Amino acid sequence: MITIDKLNLHYDRTAGYNTGKKTGKNKASTQVIFDLSLTISEGEKVAIIGPSGAGKSSLLHHLYQTLQNRAALCSQRQGLVDNLSIYHNIFMGALARHHWLFNLVNLIRPFKQDLNNITALCQQLELDQPLTKKVDKLSGGQRQRVALARALYQQQDIFIGDEPFSALDPLMTSRLLESVLAQHNSVIMVMHDRELAMSAFDRVIALDKGRLVFDSKQQHVDQQQITKLFQTSAVA
Amino acid sequence: MPQLQQVKNTHYPLGYWQKVTVLIWLIALLIIPFADIEIVNFDPLLELTLMAQGLMAPDFFATEYLFQAVIQTINFAIIGVCLGLVLGAPLALIYQHPIVSSCCAFFRAIHEIFWALLFLQIFGLSPMTGILAITIPFAATFARVFHDIINQSSDSPLESIDSRADIISRFTYGKIAQVLPQLMAYTRYRFECALRSSAVLGFIGMPTLGFYMETAFRQGNYNEGAALLIIFVTLIGTISYWCPPKLMMVYFIIACLTLVDIPAVDSSLLVRFISQDILPPALVNVGTFAEVQWASLTTWFTDLLVEQAIPGGIATITLALLALAATHVVTLNAHALASRQLWPTPLTWLGQLILLIGRSVPEYILAFIFLMLLGPSMLPAVIALAIHNGCVIAYLAVKQSNAIAPQQMQMSKFNQFNYHIMPNIYPNMMALLFYRFEIIVRETAVFGILGIMTLGFYIDSNFSEIRYSNALVLITCTALLNVAIDILSRRLLKFPKSSQTRC
Repeated sequence: MITIDKLNLHYDRTAGYNTGKKTGKNKASTQVIFDLSLTISEGEKVAIIGPSGAGKSSLLHHLYQTLQNRAALCSQRQGLVDNLSIYHNIFMGALARHHWLFNLVNLIRPFKQDLNNITALCQQLELDQPLTKKVDKLSGGQRQRVALARALYQQQDIFIGDEPFSALDPLMTSRLLESVLAQHNSVIMVMHDRELAMSAFDRVIALDKGRLVFDSKQQHVDQQQITKLFQTSAVA
Repeated sequence: MPQLQQVKNTHYPLGYWQKVTVLIWLIALLIIPFADIEIVNFDPLLELTLMAQGLMAPDFFATEYLFQAVIQTINFAIIGVCLGLVLGAPLALIYQHPIVSSCCAFFRAIHEIFWALLFLQIFGLSPMTGILAITIPFAATFARVFHDIINQSSDSPLESIDSRADIISRFTYGKIAQVLPQLMAYTRYRFECALRSSAVLGFIGMPTLGFYMETAFRQGNYNEGAALLIIFVTLIGTISYWCPPKLMMVYFIIACLTLVDIPAVDSSLLVRFISQDILPPALVNVGTFAEVQWASLTTWFTDLLVEQAIPGGIATITLALLALAATHVVTLNAHALASRQLWPTPLTWLGQLILLIGRSVPEYILAFIFLMLLGPSMLPAVIALAIHNGCVIAYLAVKQSNAIAPQQMQMSKFNQFNYHIMPNIYPNMMALLFYRFEIIVRETAVFGILGIMTLGFYIDSNFSEIRYSNALVLITCTALLNVAIDILSRRLLKFPKSSQTRC
């Protein structure tokens, strides 16, 4: 499905901070991914773990850029439009399936078919809020599920998620993860919960300081190794 | 407490905004000796008592056709804003194009009154004149502000929308939906501006409230004038009650239906205006290119530049700079007057009322009142501009400062105001002040009609002497001056973009 060979990614610091003016162009960006090679095949369910700042999100966004036409992204930034209702935020996942005129009319007067679909989707995600509610009135966990619902509503083959369950309780997380895995052929997901990553996914890869540390496909990985990874990083 | 080492001559440089403030004042003090601001009137008390009496006993029934005037004022404003939106909103999407943005800057720089004076020659006193005079500058303003608002919105919703979706869907859902409340709020604010502009068009003869206001004040009918002012201030103060955004379309249809009849445009008049009236004298009745008398054309142009454009331009800038400094004072005081951080809530209502009156009364009427009190000089115009713009900025600043959470620290309200609230809002206040500077320069035009020798004065007198070519050149000069000031003030504001800049 996708193969990357010796990937090097730079994070443009000026995009994040406003103080890039005095430093030269070379100093303005920091490298976040170093010589990373990886192959993910069709139908795989891959979890990416690693301590914070390891370059997981950068890698994930790069994968999304490459797979864009077939993948749905559930980003950590969520990208919800605060002024729109739950319904419209989720409907945004279906924009590509309809003509723009349909989408404009839907903005004023929701269509029955989508309304039914989205109601069902919300029930599945245990989101028991009225669809007309504006998303800025929702709690953190509810917002995260709206973002998740929008990614699911794209109805793509591949799901790419950046910690899509970080604000949910463990029980709900495993229930929702199960349905995400069931609904997509391939899944690539940055996971916060290491144990869940080990138990629910076919394959786990770990990053540390921008390098691939291990890949469960190539070597046997046990819990100890993972604990060690996070400990050494915490000390450093 | 350990003994701190004594340090002598510690240097503490001024912050950026302190420097800007000092600069504004230094410039104002430097030009005061050259400005004509003496008080001429020796007996202002008589006029003042008459005005006060008028205000005490407003006569709401003195104006004939009062209802008609109110309706027409609202009609021009609504149709002007709606057409402005129709033209301006699409332009906002392509505003990054330098040709579009410079054309908009140019159109925006010409005051509604000048547009009206131009259209007056073509359409006469038809509603078309009033509507177009509002529509054109408003469309240019909408284009710029909408563009800025849309640009400031976050890109993250676009990231998670399927990239195969068409651009219209992505743009409406990802961008427009995000900023729609701001766009609506700005449109509402512009509607208020349009009502004021619509009234001001009365001063040059359109059948709006301003026409009756001017007549009443000129004739000394202060009872009638006061009544008209009260009606106008109430109209503006209660916009949100009588014109909720949802009813805008309904009002637009009503406005089109109740508009006074549009007389047919005499096309020969239009042709004559374009082919003869607006041409310089040396070019009229010239058949071929060879017949042009270049010498007389150059003399005409230099004379116009030296005798009118340059003195008018200098007076305009002098007036605007003095008004800028005065506006700064009014803003600071008016903000303190209505801030909830300083006074208990019931008292701030009084402050808000003062701000409402200050920003609703047309500058022209304010200047007129001060002209009666202080005699003919630049001073009434400076005061009128300062009161009007100061109250507008203070109104916006109060909205911002009321939203600031108080510090969790033991200190008096007054200290809190100076150490917490003011540093917080001052940069924004100054940004608004510079944005208003462009508007102050535009508004100096209005005072030309009152006889203060700004560019507006020369334009107005050229129009009344039927020298349209001269007027057109001067209007262009005014527009170019405004564009230059716009670029300059944006430069000044560009530097402290980050919120870290110290006051």
